[in-house]
Amino acid sequence: MPNIAGKAFAMNLITPIERWQAAFNKIQFWAIRQPILSFSLRGLVTLSMIHYARWAIVQPTEWPRLDESQPKEKLHYAYQLFFSNFNGSWAQYVDSFSVAIPSGLNLLWFRNVGWPKAVPEQPFHRYVEHNEVWTSHYYSAYPMAASNDVKSAQRVKQALTSFASRTKDMEAAAFEQAYNELLNELQADLSQMAPTPIVSLANAAVEERMRQDAEAGDEQDSGRAPAMMGGSHAE
Amino acid sequence: MPNEAGRAYGLTALCPIKHGAEAPQPGKPARSFAARTRDLLQDLNEAAESPMACVPNTYLCRFLVLDNVAYQGDPAKLDRLRSSYLVFVADLHAGKKSEEGLRRYLEGMWEHAEPTVRSLWEHCVGFDTVSSSDAFVRYVKRCQVENTLYFNGSTDEPLAEQLKNLYLKQEFSRFAFEHQGKKGAELQAAFGQFLTRTRPHDLSGPTWKPGARTLDDAVIDPNPPPQYLRSVPTGASR
Amino acid sequence: MSTPGSPVTLDLHDIQGNIVKAYSRYDYSHARYVLFEITDGQAGRGFIATLAERVTTSAPWGRGSTEERPESTLNVALTFAGLRMLGLPQASLLTFSPEFATGMRGRGAILGDDGPSGPERWDPVWRKPHRIHVLITINGVSRDAIETAYAFVTDITGRYRAGVRCLTGHRDPEGRNDMPYQAASAIEIDGKPTPKEHFGYTDGIGNPYFKGTGEHPENVLGGGKVTRRDATTRAGWEPLETGEFLLGYKDEAQEFPEAPMPPLLGRNGTYMVYRKLHQNVGSFNRYLDAVGTEYPGGKEALAAKFAGRWRNGAPVTTFPTEAEAEAFAQQWMAAKLKIQQTPKGPAREEAKAAFAQLNAKFVAFDYSKDLPGAGCPVGAHIRRTNPRGSLEFGEAFAFDTRGALTNRRRILRRGLPYGSVVDPQDDTGEHGIVFMALGANIRRQFEFVQQQWVNYGNDFRLGNDRDPIIGNHGTTPEGKGDGRMTIEAEPGGGRPPFLCGGMPRFVETRGGEYFFVPSITALRLIGEGMVDPT
Ligand code: HEM
Repeated sequence: MPNIAGKAFAMNLITPIERWQAAFNKIQFWAIRQPILSFSLRGLVTLSMIHYARWAIVQPTEWPRLDESQPKEKLHYAYQLFFSNFNGSWAQYVDSFSVAIPSGLNLLWFRNVGWPKAVPEQPFHRYVEHNEVWTSHYYSAYPMAASNDVKSAQRVKQALTSFASRTKDMEAAAFEQAYNELLNELQADLSQMAPTPIVSLANAAVEERMRQDAEAGDEQDSGRAPAMMGGSHAE
Repeated sequence: MPNEAGRAYGLTALCPIKHGAEAPQPGKPARSFAARTRDLLQDLNEAAESPMACVPNTYLCRFLVLDNVAYQGDPAKLDRLRSSYLVFVADLHAGKKSEEGLRRYLEGMWEHAEPTVRSLWEHCVGFDTVSSSDAFVRYVKRCQVENTLYFNGSTDEPLAEQLKNLYLKQEFSRFAFEHQGKKGAELQAAFGQFLTRTRPHDLSGPTWKPGARTLDDAVIDPNPPPQYLRSVPTGASR
Repeated sequence: MSTPGSPVTLDLHDIQGNIVKAYSRYDYSHARYVLFEITDGQAGRGFIATLAERVTTSAPWGRGSTEERPESTLNVALTFAGLRMLGLPQASLLTFSPEFATGMRGRGAILGDDGPSGPERWDPVWRKPHRIHVLITINGVSRDAIETAYAFVTDITGRYRAGVRCLTGHRDPEGRNDMPYQAASAIEIDGKPTPKEHFGYTDGIGNPYFKGTGEHPENVLGGGKVTRRDATTRAGWEPLETGEFLLGYKDEAQEFPEAPMPPLLGRNGTYMVYRKLHQNVGSFNRYLDAVGTEYPGGKEALAAKFAGRWRNGAPVTTFPTEAEAEAFAQQWMAAKLKIQQTPKGPAREEAKAAFAQLNAKFVAFDYSKDLPGAGCPVGAHIRRTNPRGSLEFGEAFAFDTRGALTNRRRILRRGLPYGSVVDPQDDTGEHGIVFMALGANIRRQFEFVQQQWVNYGNDFRLGNDRDPIIGNHGTTPEGKGDGRMTIEAEPGGGRPPFLCGGMPRFVETRGGEYFFVPSITALRLIGEGMVDPT
């Protein structure tokens, strides 16, 4: 359950790269960031399953070390940290990425140790699973919205406010015509949101137990403090 | 700067957790600091609402404890981390001046969720000295690793805008369905009421509550207009 | 037996016939579906071994083939519980897919089988999934043929009665709920079987085309996967990989699909979803009547927009008006007639070619010229269940292949309508579709389509909107349906889209299960108790 916050799924993937290769990959990522080359991200944009995602390549010396009491990391490899917020189930996401943009993925995970290539899918699936780290607490400000919904809502707001000011002093007949034009302009944005369909049976079961526990808790002890406030009083 | 994409910012922080364990409490087994930190994170899930819902401009965020890295098997070499890390990953609205925006964001986090912050980071290396929002900002920045690539597949508006947009989209869709076929003056009047009710420019409300999971508890309006100004809602609220 | 340009050769004699053949296209307009419980492994194995001798294969019939088309066909499918009862070793059982092992009822939350589709409302026989072990499907060209085949089945069931029981508990149109089988048959009009279903649409047009079946190569049009070329031409299509529909062959991910062990158990077999879907004909007709008067195009056009096809089968993306669809249907009929009326020879061949060209228009299309949905709505049933490359949203080359998000979600649809509509304004009674979907991976294909594309809309950028016809629409607190659909207008024209709200649930689940359809070899292995994954 902690990997899931409504329509968003948190994926954390941490994979090793040879250190010299990592230095090279950083340059490659730099190239991908350049607007002129950003076609390599067009697949991601079109898939439109991601709210936000990041890649961070961390060399052994770059792991935060805050004081002398903390042992220095001694690692053979640099690590690529990938954190994404995507819509849909894990399998759906992994399937879609493997099939839609395999060459993009091969570029983004270029020569990571053990990277099997994005196609065939089963080895890729296993690689992701093997290197995935589970989230303990995940929060989304809009569990009922997919990234498509957020973008659609922005279009609605813009069109609506411009329409409102444009039509303020209109005659009724002209207003009606302008309103119809507004609907035409927004016709791809008139769907509605609701909670996500269940992401997995396991997740649904956990959510259900939590809900029952919360209800039982409410009955037993309505004065119970919020579950977590300060470590010391948790005892 | 690869930490941001437009006005959206991706904070990636790896905060080392101290070695060792808590002092044993009577009747309870002692927990290592890393395990204890994870317990606290897991417990956050039991509350009806995440404490991060109070932190302004959090689009999405996650916490986890990274104990180690995975081994790819021979012939790869075996790496072991020497510390566990509290990983805090946030996607947030930072505005045009991104580093400045990050600072404001972390200050907001301290201001609105200080007890949570204190308890979650309690066992992190060097956190004992953090007792102000300034110190918290400095601390997180020391733990920050730079993104190599940040991808924004959504929008980069302030969260309050995003939430208001979502509210408006939902309400306008309902309006459009309910008023299909209405003509001229009647339609215009209804739309006027819709604007009065939904106040498209008022970010404070009515809008969607951050973190709302169901339609029934999504809409909030902290500053409702006085009763006599309120128009009749155009439809059921779900 | 191989498709030109593809090296895949299938041993069609080892593959069950319902995988490669849509029987209803071969005039098998009657069917009977029978469920069995196995209470004793040895008797059960004898039963299966005997059936294996009679199972209809995919070998081609008729001209140029050694096989005559039989009066009836017989096919066998097994549930996970059935495989266990038949004594498959645990090591083998664990290699079947998790969703198959869980079964349809356990997956109900994913499939949207809630409210009126919940298991409490299912036919009694489907409410005891642990007892459902074997499914025998019989198709026949006549009722007599069905009776004969059924008598044969009854006979061998009797022979193995020590451990094999036919399960009763299917509902029938007379109001009984203890029938020993589910009957299904094509809807007859003027005494002739038709490809119609109870809402009045022509069904069974679109089906995937994959390598190695020996099907007519022209069927790749519309049946294969889209390329980046013109979808009205052969260049617009390529056959799908065999492994999407049969275990043991390369699939669209360039690998063999996950399959049970040992390999002989899985190879040439596949998974099958069986669903008994009740149709609320009264609600559907009332909705069309009411909203059809408001919809500018009228009731028939509204029905066409829901499905993506006119009721005569013409795709609405190609034939946007009723008049065009009608004209097309008449041309088509005339061309068909012409073949019959033309004497053998070059003229006849010409007539055939002309007909084939027209016929292709039913299937050889995509939505590349109709991305905003002014022709076929983005949320229409056939566009949801097979988006044909439109999920690239016109961003050419955004994906490595245009059909990327579609090719691994295709399903072979089999099955027939059941029951009959006595009063077109009445929801109750027995009428619906026995829907069967075959594919190498239930989760990735059928379940995905059902959950993400039918009961949700995000992939189409349609939020939580559902399929208008088969979506599991809920009810509002006021008791109205909460289903919605946007029927898009021509963009930029200033004309508003048409918004359909208040849709109730038109289709409800009345039972079903997940099955494995073994090859003849695997049926023999199971029947002889020789399955050994070590
Ligand atoms: C009572 C229930 C259903 C009715 C009345 C119905 C009706 C139809 C109709 C009229 C067509 C167009 C004819 C054709 O293209 O063959 C069609 C096509 C199709 N349906 Fe259904 N259907 C039902 C259930 C389902 C279900 C449960 C699924 C899958 C989850 C499904 C998937 C498809 C697919 C994949 C196509 C072909 C689309 C294409 O290739 O263009 N249908 N259906």
